[in-house]
Amino acid sequence: MWSLSKISGLIDHWLNGKLGSGWASVAEMVIVGLCVIGLFAILGLVLVLMERKVSAWMQIRLGPNRVGPKGLLQSLADTLKLLVKEGLTPDGADKFLFNLAPFVAMIAAMLLMAPIAFAKDFQIWDVNIGVLYITAISSISVIGILMAGWSSNNKYSLLGAMRSGAQIVSYELSAGLSILSIVVLTGSLKVSDIIAAQQNGWWIFKGHVPALIAFVIFIIAATAETNRAPFDLAEAESELTAGFHTEYSGMKFALFFLAEYVNVFIVCAIGATLFLGGWMPFHIGSWEGFNHIMDYIPSSIWFFGKTFFLIFLIMWFRWTFPRLRIDQLLNLEWKYLLPIGMVNIILVTIVAIKGWHF
Amino acid sequence: MNGSAIIFYGLGALTLVSALLAVTAKKIFRAAIFLLFTLIGVAGIYFWLNYEFIAAVQIVVYVGGIVVMIIFSIFLTQQSGEKLPSPPTRRMVSALVATILGFALAGLQIWQHHFTGDGKIVIEPSVLNIGKRMLGTGDGGYALPFEVVSMLLLAAMIGCIVIAMRSNNKTT
Amino acid sequence: MFLVDYLKDITGAIKSLLTGMRRTGYYFTHHKEIITQQYPDNRDTLKLPERFRGEVVMSHNESNEHRCTGCTACELACPNGTIKVVTKFDISPEGKKKKAVDKFIYHLELCTMCNLCIEACPTDAIRMAQSFEHSVYDRAELTKVLNKPGSKIEEGVE
Repeated sequence: MWSLSKISGLIDHWLNGKLGSGWASVAEMVIVGLCVIGLFAILGLVLVLMERKVSAWMQIRLGPNRVGPKGLLQSLADTLKLLVKEGLTPDGADKFLFNLAPFVAMIAAMLLMAPIAFAKDFQIWDVNIGVLYITAISSISVIGILMAGWSSNNKYSLLGAMRSGAQIVSYELSAGLSILSIVVLTGSLKVSDIIAAQQNGWWIFKGHVPALIAFVIFIIAATAETNRAPFDLAEAESELTAGFHTEYSGMKFALFFLAEYVNVFIVCAIGATLFLGGWMPFHIGSWEGFNHIMDYIPSSIWFFGKTFFLIFLIMWFRWTFPRLRIDQLLNLEWKYLLPIGMVNIILVTIVAIKGWHF
Repeated sequence: MNGSAIIFYGLGALTLVSALLAVTAKKIFRAAIFLLFTLIGVAGIYFWLNYEFIAAVQIVVYVGGIVVMIIFSIFLTQQSGEKLPSPPTRRMVSALVATILGFALAGLQIWQHHFTGDGKIVIEPSVLNIGKRMLGTGDGGYALPFEVVSMLLLAAMIGCIVIAMRSNNKTT
Repeated sequence: MFLVDYLKDITGAIKSLLTGMRRTGYYFTHHKEIITQQYPDNRDTLKLPERFRGEVVMSHNESNEHRCTGCTACELACPNGTIKVVTKFDISPEGKKKKAVDKFIYHLELCTMCNLCIEACPTDAIRMAQSFEHSVYDRAELTKVLNKPGSKIEEGVE
């Protein structure tokens, strides 16, 4: 059976033979960087098209169907248009920070790619604090938004940035708590350990009700953290025109847009890793034959399948629910999600100590 | 000079330059952003030392917590976009003198201190070890300070709630 | 009980959210519900909904007769002066003078398709047609005379 880890091993071997270990690692870093950028570009194209199609079908419309076969090249055409657009910097804006902000948002999203396991033994950096690293880096992404909002010299941008800051900071708590419940069950922060612990069943099934509650809280918090509807107050079109990226145009806007979609991908990948077993195939206890058949599906397909399932779920939320008001948003977090999350983590701890999970 | 040293000097330069810019920036928001880069540089040095846990905590607490708080308070104050006036010469001179004296003191300490560690005794900074130390009651355990600090934080939290909570009969 | 209310709140919220998601999920999986018309492509097979209002027309039967009595109720009902009814007096066989419509002038460029004239008409002489490709090169072409030349009032319409 083919596997991505073999390909990466082969490249590593070849580079080490050609260049010596020092330059080989430099070359590998460059290759990994290029791969991440390439993945970003593809994700941007695919996710934008997917969002437009999903939204269209949910609203009984057709969606893009003109450019290319069945409209598949629509997002490519949009990118081309954004590339040739003029990148305006508004008068009175803080030029340095205004131009820096999209890159901060982008770099934060790129750093988050590091600990994600895309397939079996195919991971950029299996850092031993994996999950904590993800929480830490995702708190940087709010800085990009705050920077963009402030430096635009526009009241809508500032309001949007403040809303988004308040939202991300408060929803990080419940996202952290639900991530923590899986860490308690696994006993490790390392991403590869968390996936390995799900060999005989995914946590969402193994962890009984507490894991399910944690999953629901995680999905809600992830939707809020990525500033998507029904939590898109930061860029509420009808109230703030576009929030923090009102003043951005051309490629700088595209970077924000891309960072948003990549963040969606990343939180869904993390959710898939923690609750749905990452690249681990679907196994049922002792059904040897069934498990064997499942093993034949490549691990990367499992990973991307689960991730895209979660992305679809989040898109489904977006095109079904109306936007929350700011007080409803904070009520939901502080009066519902956080207390439930805290009680839930005690339940998870009891389950973990008693060994009630399978 | 190998790759590791290059990374170290790069991170050090990032930290120092942005620290310098943070204190000399004319706009208060820029100062906050440069402070952020300083803290990220420090976190980068922790990563370079392979102390990933401390690096991640540095980012969570300082970058995600404190700097965001500072930026929020800047947003809420007026005239955040205006340029600050440059300080009078007397103050600049005294600040410079204080900086040089502090630098000299720190340099003297480092110069006189004989670093005995030979770099062979490596304590693995894994999360498991940190957790065991943090909650250990035996030798090298930090259970008591940990609890004391959490009491302090609890007191601070209750204080915040008391300040934020207004009794109904007073306000209406 | 506070806790019971709290839990009821949560279950109620989840239930209502799932109801909404079931609806959108239904639309997502049932593509035959899509109502978008791909207009210039399906021009020949285009089916407009029954209530679509394109323009005001006057119906004539085979012997070139309409049902308009020239009462000007539509002209009075029109909120922005789209309709102008020019009347004349016909001489009936008994020698009586009778009011009849000479020219039913309709300004399409002023019409908002509000349907008030159709509701005001006591004899159902005018109706809304479904044609909507109204663009012309000269504005004057938008002013139309709705009763066909030489048409008469239908027998028995008072």
